[in-house]
Amino acid sequence: MIKNYFRPSTIDELSELKIKTNGYLFSGGTDLFVKIRAGAINTDTVIDTKYLENEELKIENKKLFIPLNTTYTELRKFIKANQINPIIENIVKTIGSPMIRNRGTPVGNIANASPAGDFVLASYLLNASVILKPSSKKIPVEEFIKGPGKIELEKEEFIYGIELEILDDYKFYFEKVGRRNAMIISIASIGLLIKEDNEKIKDIRIAFGSVAPTILRNKEIEKSLIGEKIDKNLFKYLANEFFNLSSPITDVRASKEYRKQLVYNLTLKAYINLYEKVVI
Amino acid sequence: MKIKFTLNGTLIEKDVPVNKRAIDFLRDDLGILSIKEGCGEGECGACTILVNGKNVHSCLMLAVELDGKEVITVEGLKDNVIQEAYVEAGAIQCGFCTPGFIISTKALLNETLNPTPEEIKEALEGNLCRCTGYVKIEKAVKLAAKMYKGSDSND
Repeated sequence: MIKNYFRPSTIDELSELKIKTNGYLFSGGTDLFVKIRAGAINTDTVIDTKYLENEELKIENKKLFIPLNTTYTELRKFIKANQINPIIENIVKTIGSPMIRNRGTPVGNIANASPAGDFVLASYLLNASVILKPSSKKIPVEEFIKGPGKIELEKEEFIYGIELEILDDYKFYFEKVGRRNAMIISIASIGLLIKEDNEKIKDIRIAFGSVAPTILRNKEIEKSLIGEKIDKNLFKYLANEFFNLSSPITDVRASKEYRKQLVYNLTLKAYINLYEKVVI
Repeated sequence: MKIKFTLNGTLIEKDVPVNKRAIDFLRDDLGILSIKEGCGEGECGACTILVNGKNVHSCLMLAVELDGKEVITVEGLKDNVIQEAYVEAGAIQCGFCTPGFIISTKALLNETLNPTPEEIKEALEGNLCRCTGYVKIEKAVKLAAKMYKGSDSND
């Protein structure tokens, strides 16, 4: 049961409280309070980060900085107003529901480090770095997330913000498979970014959610495709590679066999939707 | 912990236990009974309230987080336009989900009085209704938008 509730306003105060109480940090609480109620988390201390004097959303040196306490709704408005990274809008609008997006935060999604985290997938695709305080460490997201729910954080540290690349002239595709429009935790998801040069690949990034202990992305495969002609055979090759690389589990949402098949099918579906101009 | 906020326009100052959820505080201590508890975990939207103009789940929020905020529930809406539109469109059966839908409708209509069908669907996607289906509810939202705009056409 929650016995202590704190509202630190400075980085040092927050850090000291975290060390002293071992309490859980929260901003929107859309995940933490569900877990506390379900008995999955038992803590007597929660630390509300919303009173921290932190920076605002900003664009600097072709990077988008998202501080803690920024909600999905605020991020969407910012992305739209600045016309950057349209894939983020496609991903964020599928997260939770309006009520969740009005409270939930991208930084919270990274902290939870779920392989089904939709914003985690976005952050992998956009080569995100996680910025920690008070240390001011900057760690690539794929190094920061160690496994399901496991992150690299010292006792005194907390996630201060994330920094994403801003990409121009990329085609993109995002889809998540679930059972309802709102509030779905994906059975499997795909995010794809392609930059073309004369019908050939200049840069490609492909990531899958919910089919491995962390988001599945493979930079070696991506690199090996630079200069290749974009056609269905190439995507069949990719579908096969990721079918083999994926290592999903069976859980309440779906079986591992079904998830593996989704990896294959979603890869081809992304191609068909982007290049054959038939929406399926 | 002492908190101070406005509830439906009235300033409230209360001492609340830090573990109390906003929904329990508003319903049990302050008697705001339009707020319903369905799932208690953010899936159903029956507990939706407006906090600083945004619709949020009162079941996933601590009462202490209301401190300094402006809270609106169905009891505090300035007019009955949305309620009347729901009645007119036949968008109510058992009524348990209705306050949550009305608050989500209000949040949408605060942003735009010309919502597209997609915007209406998105605005209501976090609210579940197990009686009516959603067609009449979507019609009610369109109707409420029209009523706010002062038009009396009804297609």
